[in-house]
Formats: sequence, C-alpha cells, structure tokens
Amino acid sequence: MIAFTDIVGMDLAKQALMLLAVDPSLGGVVIPAAVGAGKSTLARAFADILPEGTPFVELPLNVTEDRLIGGVDLEATLVRGERVVQHGVLSKAHEGVLYVDSLSLLDSSAVSHVMDAMSRGEVLVEREGLSEVHPSKFMLVGTYDPSDGEVRMGLLDRVGLIVPFTTQNDYRARRQILQRNMAVKDAEGHEDTRDELNMVKGLLDAARELLPQVAMTKEQMQGIVQSALSLGVEGNRVDIFAIRAALASAALNQRTDVDEDDLKLALKLVLVPRATRMPEREEEVQDEMPPEDEMPPEEPETEDEEAPADTPDADAEEEQEETPDMIEELMMDAVETELPDNIMNISLASKKKSKSGSRGEALNNRRGRFVRSQEGEMRSGKVALIPTLISAAPWQESRKRERAKKGHKLNTALIINKEDVKIKKFRDKSGTLFIFIVDASGSMALNRMRQAKGAVSHLLQNAYVHRDQVALISFRGKQAQLLLPPSQSVDRAKRELDVLPTGGGTPLASAMYLAWETAKQARTKGTSQFMFVFITDGRGNIGLQSGMNPEAPKATKEEIEQEITGLAASVSADGIASIVVDTQMNYLSRGEAPKLAEKLGRRYFYLPNAKAEQIAEAAMS
Amino acid sequence: MTQTASAAKKTASAKAKAGAAAKASAGPKKARTKKKQGQAFPFTAIVGQEEMKLSLILNIIDPRIGGVLVMGHRGTGKSTTVRALAEVLPSIERVKDDVYNRTVSQFIEMEKTGKDGKALTAADMTIEDIQVPVVDLPLGATEDRVCGTIDIEQALTSGVKAFEPGLLAQANRGFLYIDEVNLLDDHLVDVLLDVAASGRNVVEREGISIRHPARFVLVGSGNPEEGELRPQLLDRFGLHARIITITDVESRVDIVKRRREYDDDPEAYVKKWDKEQKKLQARILKAKDLLPAITMSDDVLTDIARLCMQLGIDGHRGELTITRTAHAFAAFNGDKEVTMEHVKEIAGLALRHRLRKDPLETLDPGEKIERELAKVLGEEVDA
Repeated sequence: MIAFTDIVGMDLAKQALMLLAVDPSLGGVVIPAAVGAGKSTLARAFADILPEGTPFVELPLNVTEDRLIGGVDLEATLVRGERVVQHGVLSKAHEGVLYVDSLSLLDSSAVSHVMDAMSRGEVLVEREGLSEVHPSKFMLVGTYDPSDGEVRMGLLDRVGLIVPFTTQNDYRARRQILQRNMAVKDAEGHEDTRDELNMVKGLLDAARELLPQVAMTKEQMQGIVQSALSLGVEGNRVDIFAIRAALASAALNQRTDVDEDDLKLALKLVLVPRATRMPEREEEVQDEMPPEDEMPPEEPETEDEEAPADTPDADAEEEQEETPDMIEELMMDAVETELPDNIMNISLASKKKSKSGSRGEALNNRRGRFVRSQEGEMRSGKVALIPTLISAAPWQESRKRERAKKGHKLNTALIINKEDVKIKKFRDKSGTLFIFIVDASGSMALNRMRQAKGAVSHLLQNAYVHRDQVALISFRGKQAQLLLPPSQSVDRAKRELDVLPTGGGTPLASAMYLAWETAKQARTKGTSQFMFVFITDGRGNIGLQSGMNPEAPKATKEEIEQEITGLAASVSADGIASIVVDTQMNYLSRGEAPKLAEKLGRRYFYLPNAKAEQIAEAAMS
Repeated sequence: MTQTASAAKKTASAKAKAGAAAKASAGPKKARTKKKQGQAFPFTAIVGQEEMKLSLILNIIDPRIGGVLVMGHRGTGKSTTVRALAEVLPSIERVKDDVYNRTVSQFIEMEKTGKDGKALTAADMTIEDIQVPVVDLPLGATEDRVCGTIDIEQALTSGVKAFEPGLLAQANRGFLYIDEVNLLDDHLVDVLLDVAASGRNVVEREGISIRHPARFVLVGSGNPEEGELRPQLLDRFGLHARIITITDVESRVDIVKRRREYDDDPEAYVKKWDKEQKKLQARILKAKDLLPAITMSDDVLTDIARLCMQLGIDGHRGELTITRTAHAFAAFNGDKEVTMEHVKEIAGLALRHRLRKDPLETLDPGEKIERELAKVLGEEVDA
C-alpha cells in the first residue's frame, strides 16, 4: 500500500483532495488522468489522511440499482418475517467518501442516482414496497481516463473540484515516482512515511478547526463571480464552490484571510475546468488601462455586468490590492496553465471483432436496467424475488391448509408455486446511435451542413420513443472534429451546430476513425446499435497521419484509398451499419460516393437537393 | 497519532446530525420518517428566477393550471426552489388519517359505507388540517411504489390482501415533484400520463383491484441538455418556466452570502425570513379567496384566442391555460378584472412549450410569442 504522502506528482490532485478533507461540503474531487498516472492509487490513499473511522466506499461500475439505492434484504426478511431494509452503497458512504474509478464509464442511470443523492444529501428509496429516506452526504472522489469518454456535466456540476488534465511527460518526475515506489516496496511501513502522514493529518485537523474563522472580502467574492462570468461558466453554484475552496486553502495554510494563492487555486480547481470560453489576455494592457477595457471587446454581454462591479471598485480604490479586476488578472494566470491539448494516440491495430455490435433487443431478461417484473419461467431470466413473494403471499394460508389436508408434511415456511414466479424485465439502453459524418469541405459544404443539421433535429424529434441518440462529426482541413457528442437533446444539437466551419481538404479517413471511436465509447456505456450516415461525395484527400502530425509526409492517393478501405472493412466487421448520402448536384462527378458505399455495405442514396426529412428517413429505414 | 485522530473524529462527528440514528433503522415501515430532515432554504430568500417562482405561486392559487415544467441551466436553484415551496403552501382539510387526502364528500362518495356496513354521513367523520403535500418522485422509483401495491408484510403474516398506497395516493390534492424529469423511465412516464389525464389511479395487479383519486400539480425540473422530454408529457405541463444563469455580479454575491448564512445556521436563517414567508403565504391565501370573483371580458378572451391561432397552437389547452393563469395572476396582484396586461405577463409561460418545433427556427419561442402578442394588441412591431 502506498501512502498519500508517498505519491509523487499529481500535486494539484493532492491539493484538491486536501481541500476536500478540510471542507467536505466541496462535494468531491474529479481527477482525469491517463492510464498509469497513479490516479486510483492516490484516490485510495486519500482514505489514510481522513479522520479514523470515515467510511470509504468504492462504487463498482457494474453496480445494480438496488445495491446503489438500497432495498429489501431478502434473507433477513425471510428469517425474521418482517421487512428488513438493506442500505445501498450511497447511504453506506454517508459522512465518508464514495470512490468511483473510471467515472466516465459509469452507467447513466447510476450517474443519475449519484447526482440525485448529492443534490438531496439523502437517498429516497421508493422501491418494491419500500419507502424510506436514508441520509447520504458524501464526498465523491472520481477518477477517469479522458480517452474513455467524458463525465456527464450534470454530475460534474455537483462536484466542487475538478483537477485539470495533464499528462506526465517529464521524465524526472517519472523517475522520482519509480524510485519512491521502489523504496516503499523495500521498506514496508517506513517510519518517515508514518510521520509524514501524521503531519498531514495534524495539518488537516488544524485547518478544519480554523475554517469557520476564515473570511473573505466582498471584493474577493466579486472577483470570483466576475471570473466565472468571463469564463462563461454555467450556473451559480460554482461561485459557492470557488469561495469554499479559497477559504479551505487559507485554512490549510493557517491563515484567517484569503490571499492570492488561495484564489488562484480556487480558480484553477473550480472555475477554469468548467470554462466554456477562454478570455484572451491582452498583453499590452499591463499598466494603467481603465478596467472597462480589460474584458475582450467581442463579448457584448459583459458590458452590463461591468456596471454593478464598478461601484464597489470605487470604494476599494484606496487599498490597491484586491479589486475584483485584480482577481480577474489572477484568473488569467490560472488559465494560462490550462491543460495541453490531449493528443489521441491512435493505433489502428485494434481491429478485433466485437460481438456486442449485433442488434440487441430493447427488453430482455438478463442485463440492463431492471424496470419491472413479469410472469415467466424460472430459467428464462433472473427471478425477481420480492414480486414473487408478493404474489405468493396471499395464498399461503390456503395452500398450507390444502397441503395439510392432503397429508403432506410442511417443511418450508413458504409455499411457492410455479405460477408465482416472476422474473425481472430489464431494459437495455436501447436505441440507435446515429453518427452523422459530414463533409465540411469544398463549395457544397454549407449546403451539406444545413442538411445534416436538419436531419439531426428531425431524427431527435421523431425518434424520442426509441431513445435514439445522435452525434455529428464534420471533417475538413486536416482533421475531423466531433461537433456534437452523442446526445438526445435537440437544444444541445441546435446550439453546438450553430457555428460550422467550412473549406479546406477532405480528411475522410480521419472522420471514419473518429466515428468508430465514438461508437466504441458509446458501446461501453450501453448503446448497442449504430448507424453511420455519411454525407459526402466520397472523395477523401487527406491521410490519417496528416491529421495527427503536421510533419508527417503527405499520404499518396493510394495510401489514402487503402486507409479508407481498411477502416470501412473494420467498421462493417464491427457490426455497424452505414449509409452514404450523396448530395452532389453534378451528376457527372459522381463515382466516389457509390464506391465508398460499396465498402461500407452497399447502402447508397443519391439525394441531390435532399431535404432534411429525406436524409433522416433514409437513416431510419 | 491517536490524539490527532480522535480530535479529528470529534470534529467530524460534531458535523453529523441525526444521521447516525436513521442509519440503524431497519424496523417496520410504519416507523419511517418521511419528513425532511432540517429546514429547507426559505422560498422568499431565493434571489432572482422570478419566472419559476411566479409559476409555482400561480399553481398554488389555481391548481387547475396544470403544473410547471422548469427547464434550464445546471446549478441555478431549480430543485432548491421547488423544495422550498412546501413552506409557503396553505393547508387543506381532509378526513382524518386518510391516505388519499380526500375531503369528506369525496370520502363518502367513494366509500359509501363504513366498516359496519352502514351508510356514511359527514357527522361520522373527523376532519384534520394538513399542509398541501409535496411528494418527491425519485428517478429510481419502481412502478409498485408509484402506483401502490399489496402490503407484503400483512400478506405474509396474516394472509390479508391489503393495499399499500403509493406516491400517487400521497400526492392527491398536492404537488408531485420530479427532478430530472427528462430522465424519467418510459414506463413511469406512461403511468403519469395516464393518471394526469384521468385524475385517478387504477391498480390492477397481484390480485388487487383498486381505483383512487390522484389529482396533483405536476412539477418537473431538468436540464434540456441531458435529454428531451416526451412530447405528450411536455404538453401535460400547464406552464413552462425557463431558468438561466444569473449574470449580475451583485445578485450572485448576494446568492453566495445568503447560501453561506443558511448553511452556517439553517434554523436561525429560516427564522430570519419567517416574516417574509408569512407575508407571501397571506398574499397567496388572499389571491385564492379572490379568484372565483375575478372576471374577464369577451374582448380579452377574443385576443387570447387570436394569439393562439396566430401562433398555430394545436388544440385548446393553450387558450385554457392562458386564461386560467391570467386569472390567477390578476388575483395575485389583487386585481378584480383580467386585462391584456396580465395576459402579456404570463403568455410566454403558458405557451412557450406549445409552439410547433421547427428545427431550423432560430427565433426564440419567447420572442415569437411577444411579437405575435404585439400584433394582436395592434402595437408597432420593430422587426
């Protein structure tokens, strides 16, 4: 076991965890990091620095709903003859830590329950004849690998601290980690480690005690709010998180007032990770520019926000230090340490065939989410015990009498007949994920994008009952881009698709690859059916490598052709259906799109001037 | 080491309230505590979000408006506001201990006879005052708990087939709240649609056949980016309040301050706002009393009909909702007659979600309604 203090690197993550230990009302810490960065080791070591006896509950990814929320403890119920309640994982974590490894892979209904518990501070159990409220105030510690997909925004919103994602590329840090790990293995229970741990614990105790006395000036508060605004952070809850983080940081440093470093840390861990836009720093504005001009001029809405902030500024002018604008300046610093673009490491080797690509039925008897019970054969699925008991219960008296009459011996407390047996009916996250892959290059790009957008909205509005999802990938220039991650929301689709770039080369292969990756990710979250909708003339002219690495030699026509053929074969071998919609007006220039369709399973639609509905219908057919 | 550890434990346990006690409860269900622990944030202390607050208040004044759907950004106080609602609700009369919250006349009409087989009369029954119930429907609820089912304990121990009412029974004559309503499972949505349309819950399962009244104000909240709401369910909501991030720095600082003050000492904070809460409650009660006496001229009615026609709204639920809401709004303002000024204020709430969805439409529904409204009123439209 590696102790908290032994872990080298991940300093920001460590700081975040310590802030959380000081003020659990920060909600939690989410740590994104690549495989092998030691994130889960760190999260588990977090338990060491907490007060003794604090629950630390790990949430397994395959948790069932009744284990998560709680339900009837069947065994005890049968033994005692009265209903005995079993608490779920969420309530077991009460006043402690709920730890989720691979948070982004957690099933969406489980995520909803975690969110709900965090919002209420308790779990409402309304299941199988039970109606209970269990307290459930916990700190959520989640780690995940961003290449597995993102964590749902709604959940992140309830977690105060989000550690910015960085990959560890510094070999010195790596070497240090290795050395430290080796050292730990050599000397189990090393004295130094224990002393260090105790020191940290003492520090945290002192900070917790000091926390109620730590205060923040009004200007500092305004600065935080203003920063949240200029970063375009959604919602008002973040303000509270950021303020709490700053206060906790001050307490951790044995101060009762908040200083620059505290604010910076709060910005880094609370606001910057939620930014929806990055304000640009104007280099030349370092000296006496009036505060009005510090905001980038292209954001008109900031004008009215500026007005109320000015008044307190005037009061605070004397003490030059902590005007809200100064704090915004700090924020800029924090932004600059922003996460580096994470570069996807592509390996085309993973062409293995996956069985789950086959069409699954929406309702089945084995997996997915348990929705209700129905009559059925014991062997045809999982037996729903409580409903079975319920249906057997009223007949107990009469059955016992009957048996007694027949002279049978009664050796069981309960007589359950075949017709009582209920089996669980599960619901798989059914529905199809439609991935639109739209050529955004060339002169017809605007037209194609409009058609795609219309088709996306159309599909979303009409396909509600099927729980279908839609994603959209556009490609142009060197690389493809996931404009709309898998979503069911018309609103989101509308918003994300409003701005669409066009022009440049045609990286078809890159788009295919991205679509395939997106599908694979969705598969881990339970989607089983996919449909790729290509809206293109089928002519790719940029190789996969050029998208990743600008210095890569330009791929030849044959190489590009090969990439596309290979990808197409992999996609269809993976059980993914595709259609190719050709909207080319010029009949003579056709030829490439049908060839692409040939590679992808021969579903080709020639729809010049296509209406959005037509494309949507073609996709659903 | 042990010293620091025990000190830490002290702080941790000091923070804990009655939590540990509840944890040990494994007893029979009758002992369950459904009451929210601690006090909710005061409704009147919520900064901004007037649209949502008004919609909720109008539904208290006239529950026939048909509920509110609150959609909007994360972290903007949606669920806080709905949960704060309970404290400003008036009380209703029901037959004592009736699980369906029925009035005396409803009780007599349904039950007809008492346990002894004699015809019931009003004199037989005791009445009690209860606060209008607010029932929380969590996403993980199973159908049997929502609709009610056989009481398994009674069935197992005494072989009696007794009905154990579900959340729909508890919500009768009150509010039914669903957070993250757009994530609700389809089969529960089916149940809700059915019950909301008929006002009664019919249970035919496990050898039980029961029907009971289930009329409630449906309140849903959610973030549109998490998923779409089923169109039929959307149509069920009388009003649609939109909620967005507050962007005014002063208000936001105010929010933070109030929240922190409340977190530090909830009881003292609730007390501090007691006067405001009482004031609002009184105003709502007055509006409720005034409501039956409120009139609306035919001209206003015609204008409403024209507005709905021009917006191309299907069916008549739009007109009906707008009319009821305008009445409630007038009552809330202490006005005896509904004017187009009232209508103007609430038209967006009542119609926003009833406009036909056009994927390529860029105009916000609210703006569209305002524009048409201006046309109906013969005002200049600056396009």
